[in-house]
Amino acid sequence: MAKDFSVVSKKTPRIDGYERVTGQAQYAGDVQVPGMLFARVLRSRQPHARIVDIDTSKAEKLPGVKAIIHYKNAQVAWSSGSQIVERYIFNNPVRYAGEAIAAVAATDRHIAEDALSLIEVKYEKLPYVLDVKEALKPDAPKIHPKGNLSVGEGRRGGAPIVEEWGDLEKGFKEADRIFEGTYVTKHVNNAQMERRVSLAKWDGGKLTVWASTQGISNCRTDLAKDLGLPLSKVRVICKNMGAGFGNKNQAHDFDLMAAILAKMAGQPVKVEFTREDDFVGVHGRWASAQHYKIGVKNDGTVTALEENSTTNMGGYRKGSGGLSGTDFYQAPNFKKIINPTYTNTVVAANFRAPSYPQSVFGIASILDQIAYELGINPLEMFEKNRVRLAKNKTRFSSYGLDQCIAEGAKRIGWNEKWHKPGATPGAKKHGIGMALGGYNFRQGLGAAAIRMNPDGSAHLLVGVTDIGGGAKTTMAIIAAEALGIPLSRIQVTYGDTDATPYSIGESGSRTTVFTGTAVIAAAQDVRAQIFKLAAEQLKVKPDELELKEGNVFVKSDPNQKLSLNQALNRVGADIIGRATTNPNEMKDVEGKCFSAHFAEVEVDLFSGHIKVTRYVAAHDSGTIINRLTAESQVKGGVVQGIGMALTEELLTDKLTGIPINPNYRDAKVPTHLEVPEVEVIFVDSFDPYGPFGGKVVGEPPITAAVATIANAIFNATGKRIKELPITPDKILQARQV
Amino acid sequence: MADEKMGAKLSRRTFLKGLGGGAIGTAVVSTGLIKSDPAEAYSPETVGIARDKTPITLKVNGKAYRVEVEPRDTLAEVLRDQLGLTGTKIGCDRGECGACTVIINGRNMYSCSQLAVWMQGKEILTIEGLAKGDKLDPVQEAFIEHDGPQCGFCTSGQIMSGKALLMKNSKPTEAQVRRGLSGNLCRCGNYNREVESVLAAAKGR
Repeated sequence: MAKDFSVVSKKTPRIDGYERVTGQAQYAGDVQVPGMLFARVLRSRQPHARIVDIDTSKAEKLPGVKAIIHYKNAQVAWSSGSQIVERYIFNNPVRYAGEAIAAVAATDRHIAEDALSLIEVKYEKLPYVLDVKEALKPDAPKIHPKGNLSVGEGRRGGAPIVEEWGDLEKGFKEADRIFEGTYVTKHVNNAQMERRVSLAKWDGGKLTVWASTQGISNCRTDLAKDLGLPLSKVRVICKNMGAGFGNKNQAHDFDLMAAILAKMAGQPVKVEFTREDDFVGVHGRWASAQHYKIGVKNDGTVTALEENSTTNMGGYRKGSGGLSGTDFYQAPNFKKIINPTYTNTVVAANFRAPSYPQSVFGIASILDQIAYELGINPLEMFEKNRVRLAKNKTRFSSYGLDQCIAEGAKRIGWNEKWHKPGATPGAKKHGIGMALGGYNFRQGLGAAAIRMNPDGSAHLLVGVTDIGGGAKTTMAIIAAEALGIPLSRIQVTYGDTDATPYSIGESGSRTTVFTGTAVIAAAQDVRAQIFKLAAEQLKVKPDELELKEGNVFVKSDPNQKLSLNQALNRVGADIIGRATTNPNEMKDVEGKCFSAHFAEVEVDLFSGHIKVTRYVAAHDSGTIINRLTAESQVKGGVVQGIGMALTEELLTDKLTGIPINPNYRDAKVPTHLEVPEVEVIFVDSFDPYGPFGGKVVGEPPITAAVATIANAIFNATGKRIKELPITPDKILQARQV
Repeated sequence: MADEKMGAKLSRRTFLKGLGGGAIGTAVVSTGLIKSDPAEAYSPETVGIARDKTPITLKVNGKAYRVEVEPRDTLAEVLRDQLGLTGTKIGCDRGECGACTVIINGRNMYSCSQLAVWMQGKEILTIEGLAKGDKLDPVQEAFIEHDGPQCGFCTSGQIMSGKALLMKNSKPTEAQVRRGLSGNLCRCGNYNREVESVLAAAKGR
């Protein structure tokens, strides 16, 4: 299936590698402009309270303080902060401990910090609720007027989220056995290395924001909307970005705060978050409690699957709150009900494959458990029940899940290594486990422009930023392949809304497909113009020409050729190709990436310590545009899964409602020492709807990782831990049962 | 009805500032949560005390820089804000993540946890000082070839820790590399690549 490519599908080092290893790559926080002020944010330490008054007079008197904003003087809507209710950059009442109350701009960051302590806030404490079960009781404190079930209209923000097909009752009747189980996952912070930072500068009526954003186009649109400015008066710049994994999508409250403070102070303002601000002031992954009821035949075949779950969205509905782990299993009769719920805790929203790893943990755990109870090898169980048709009816645009299972199982040596749960001798137990995952893939809106210089080099203009996935390099590879020129001849202009066209933003694994498709179309536009010019010189028709490796030649007689330089020289200026694409070809098919993950663990029954000793991740992502960076992304997603499975959780103090571990050390993100070599397999695959056959890479790697490790722990110990993270104390407790 | 001053928590910086300015607030440290009584730590009289500036000479990447710093300014802040050496990143500003790692007198250290006033007379090497002209350090070259950076924000720190390790031990084992880099978090989870890069640099490829 693999096509013959000249640039695509190789292991290509990033085109900006030099800047990245020399410290020259500029991130938003590195930008300094003359007269720049620094701003810090004051946060609530009440989980639910009405602000009766706020007194900033002492802070204002502190030398160096230039502007202070809060709910009274800056009640600006933050439209991407909530899908349903109106949310402002400063809200009254505050709905969680950590919600922003005020921001101060001062001549240096220490003074801004000092000033925060001089602001006096009078609160009227309100009753609060931290737990989802409690929040859904009729007499619970109401966090929003319509109650704590996050009810909204339409696709965004609907509640409950219901999906069903087939006949559940019939499915359970057909079953030989019925199993039930509840699985619990916790709030995990995205914890990207770069703290939030936003630098805003006004030039007359025009606002420039150096943002740390996953999408400059959406960030600009949101800022323009919330500040009431035309798009042409807002410029968003983000070149390099220190990752976000979903919590730097669109515009954020801190971008708006920077803009408003800068306007008020008449000077540029850089808002900087502390690490604690970052943990509590933005969002993490929504916690969940998932209840499954599954009917199966004695041979393990699922006949009915019912899910009733809740998700904890914190104080606002910033994300969907859905759970999608069941997507990877075939169920002829199916119903799921998800209840996204408000609580007075830190907001939950997108984190890499937002609705997946928590629910893949639940569904793959219970299927693994059913396999155990039926005496079936888990590999057979997963192979038997892998999804074949989306929602039991629609075929996939390309399908490599079977290959992922087969190749991954072979690489890890499943048949040789699998043993009955808890069967290895000694206190250090060996275990092996697996799970299935993946992510959606679809087509969508993209735009690109290419300026072809008279010397045959090209500028690609795309509105991507580089957040870690390597979008800039990916786009250059696609352009080089589509144009037929070497990669080294391409310069990418990116990350500046004044210079580059629309791009979806590096979220939801969409950039490669959406913007990549536009890059190919723009390249075709350029090629058509080049062929027209060359045809005159070569005295043939344009459609008889081909362009490869920087030469235009006649297809039937490659010796009749021109270098690009010769072909373009007569124009003397650059020629410009452009495209805005929004293909809608996937009408009767469903797009999906697939993965099968396999892990080996060692569990010490005396200490409860768990070590992941080996990991194999097999992925179907269609054609891989850049094998080097795609492999890195898979490795990284697995590492994040290890953290979520074994250590990470944002804890909230039950007595005060305050998050108690909002930092790297205490939230326990994985380090070099916890991570095994992750072996990556990309199965041979080609999707007719993606650029050069490519699907998506970014989100899928984390989806199956948590469940894979959990199932390996079960195989090691014979004990099923149903609540994340699987910490040593849980192993020790389970051992005693 | 509650009437309290909100939001001020004892950050590492506040603590350092207390030391530098001679005004030490009362800190109550409970499980994972660092609390302080804001009224006590930040009474208007103590705020601002730390703002007297001290002239010092910093020796960075072989050049001497004359700068004026507050006692509470960290090396990371001075490198970035005053010297414009923004290759050194600040990820947590509390000695946990390693994005700010530089080499001081041959050792890799968190520059967010070193006060600038302590740096007089020390040899500081940052990411900007690694290459010799256009010639990249082998660790830098290996990071490009083996895809050491994903988002790149921790990369300077990973490279500096890798370099510090190789300065002491030119032929480390994989386990030694992991240990040597273990103070440098990478949330992209690119640990395999970073270790691979340092090992490759050690092997001269």
